[in-house]
Amino acid sequence: MTIHAADAATAADAPKAAAGTIVSPPPARRRRRHRTQGQWWIPWAFLMPALLLFLVFRYIPMVQAIQMSVENVRPYLGNEFVGAQNYQVILADPAFRDATINTVILAVGQTVGCLLLGFLLALLLEGQTRKLSFIRSAAFLPVVVPMAVVAELWRIMYYPSADGFLNNIIGVFGLGPSEYINSPDSAMWSVMLMGIWRGGPYDMMIILAGLAGIDRGLYEAATVDGANRWQRIVHVTLPGLRPVFTILFILAAIRGFRVFTEVFLMTNGGPNGATEVVMTLLYKLGLEQGKLGVGSAGAVLLFLATLVLTLVVQLITRRKKDA
Amino acid sequence: MHTKMKAAAVLGVVTLALAGCTSAAPATGGGSGVKQDDEAVLEVWTRTTPGSASEAATIRQVEAFTEATGYKAEVTAIFDDFETKLAQRAGQKDLPDIVLNDVSQLGTMQTQGILREIDLKDVENAKDLSPQALEAGQAVDGKTYGIPYSAQANALYIRSDWLQKLGLEAPTNWDEMLEVATAFTQSDPDGNGQADTYGLAVPGSTKRGYASWYFSNFLWSAGGDFITGSGDEWLPSMSSDEAVEATTWFRDLQCTAGVIQPGAVSMDTPPTNETFESGVTGMYVTGPYMMPRFDKVLGADKYEVVPMPEGPKDDSVLAEGGTVYLMAGSENEKGQTAFADWYISPEAQKFGMEGTEAFAIQLPVNEKVDIADVRDDARWQTFATAYKESGRYAPTIPSWTPVRQMSADTINALLADCSLDVEEELTKLDGKLTAELLTQGILKQ
Repeated sequence: MTIHAADAATAADAPKAAAGTIVSPPPARRRRRHRTQGQWWIPWAFLMPALLLFLVFRYIPMVQAIQMSVENVRPYLGNEFVGAQNYQVILADPAFRDATINTVILAVGQTVGCLLLGFLLALLLEGQTRKLSFIRSAAFLPVVVPMAVVAELWRIMYYPSADGFLNNIIGVFGLGPSEYINSPDSAMWSVMLMGIWRGGPYDMMIILAGLAGIDRGLYEAATVDGANRWQRIVHVTLPGLRPVFTILFILAAIRGFRVFTEVFLMTNGGPNGATEVVMTLLYKLGLEQGKLGVGSAGAVLLFLATLVLTLVVQLITRRKKDA
Repeated sequence: MHTKMKAAAVLGVVTLALAGCTSAAPATGGGSGVKQDDEAVLEVWTRTTPGSASEAATIRQVEAFTEATGYKAEVTAIFDDFETKLAQRAGQKDLPDIVLNDVSQLGTMQTQGILREIDLKDVENAKDLSPQALEAGQAVDGKTYGIPYSAQANALYIRSDWLQKLGLEAPTNWDEMLEVATAFTQSDPDGNGQADTYGLAVPGSTKRGYASWYFSNFLWSAGGDFITGSGDEWLPSMSSDEAVEATTWFRDLQCTAGVIQPGAVSMDTPPTNETFESGVTGMYVTGPYMMPRFDKVLGADKYEVVPMPEGPKDDSVLAEGGTVYLMAGSENEKGQTAFADWYISPEAQKFGMEGTEAFAIQLPVNEKVDIADVRDDARWQTFATAYKESGRYAPTIPSWTPVRQMSADTINALLADCSLDVEEELTKLDGKLTAELLTQGILKQ
């Protein structure tokens, strides 16, 4: 594992090397690498605690979920094998189809929104001065605050009468009052907006790290060539951030598919199913109505969708790298 | 350096392995034909918040049981995901001996096979149970699987100071209720010069089916029903004339009169309670368990409790309550039966009603007990009368939760979107209910 990390580090160094600063690996490091190769089990021993925890709390439950998805789950009387029946039930359920569509809309909206907000914040807050680092921390706060607290705050801000917090503000501009999470027309974007507010600063942090990795010389060269500020962003910053965007996209998409807490706390899928996402539906089916088999089947489908998405994104990026 | 690292790694693994060993629970036997032991401690689970006043009330009650009968018992309070945690214990084939939970869970638990059938001959005090309570303890097969021990029915909480200020009387029927609600909304009953009050507090969220839970008071007093039938033959009835009438009236409170608090469709009970106690809403239909809280926050002089206004048919209200469930596979079945019997005895019922903050018994189910003997608060009498004369439990079917959830979705949708057609939505709901009843195997063919 350490070997892989070292490889990755040198691979990451490669573009920098191309940009001008050539670093040759010191001979001492190579010798050490050779020595650790003999004791292959040491890295595994260090990984063991984490792996054991993953095994008990992640992998075994996952296998059990797959098993439950083909059973009629009766904890006390014993499960019965029912084959693909649970999958038939969940796939034929129009609520599942609607929830899938809502999930995709929410995931896409939040991912794009977070990336845009994060990029904007990162451009504004990049720099070394102390004041900026304070503002950066302040901007990062929503990510640290627990989701339950955020949802409760936004529920108060979204109070739908004319004297509600946000309605007061948009009232200044002659808009509203909006119903926000209480109307099927506005509930989805209201939940999305809260998600972007919360997720944007997280993206900002990672983009900031990416920005620091872009060679200053490239900006200078672009300025010398007569590029204006906008052109520098498009032709230097954005290409330099491509790997950052890829990882953010994968993370955000996965997070988007599993969205649960904010929807559960704000609307519980209502009103009129306008914000019902796959996870809230599965929660209702499996845990509230006790249809654990059907719920598991839905969870397995969700897992497959996430897996496929991750693989596709990785395939695309790998192909780009090769080309 | 290297030996140190190796040692650290080995130590980590060993520690973890040890931790794993010590936390592995020993497997215990279960199922039928368990060896009996009268001395075994009864494990009692109750669905209430740990550390709350109602947990303390339950512990006090169970300690009194031990003192009276000699059987030992231990209380565990669980609130969040109670059913999930119970299912986990069922999976281990090691259930608690007694579960104190809502009466509407009976069908679900019985279908899971985790309940023991109760022979009423063994439960001496059962002969004094109120007829509704006795019926609520039976599953679709007509056998008894639970002994209701505490009841509650809904009544109307109303701001008496607002009524006085506007020169109004507490409503006794739906027309008056609408009038009062409109006056509360439009005539500035709190006198602050702002239009910031509303007539009726409604928890209209789909969470745990609250919208349907609240609406059932109105549906039943209009003569409507979610499903009709008995035993294992049921039909959906949300598109009946009565149900349509009730739904239309209830929905017009929101869409035409505008007397329901803003944001009702995304509120479950905690935020709805707040609207009543903070003076945003002037009426609220709920159970007696809210009185201690409203007395403290709002003040007992600011509101009164009156019977639910009469609907087009009668004044039926939702009755609920706690039930003693005797779980399968117990090693102390005698103790279980004694527990159920003692809990509904006149002494226990009276003892459980004492206190000021929370009560182990809300309303007695034993007909020999008169609530006035213990509590001289006339408001309790209102609830007791409502339960006795108009209280109605949700029907016992294998699983009531999906029915409540589906109807809550529809009620919530109708409140949220005033452009929807009531009859069309209710017909759709009937379709879903038909499918659900079929799944549960109780659809009348």
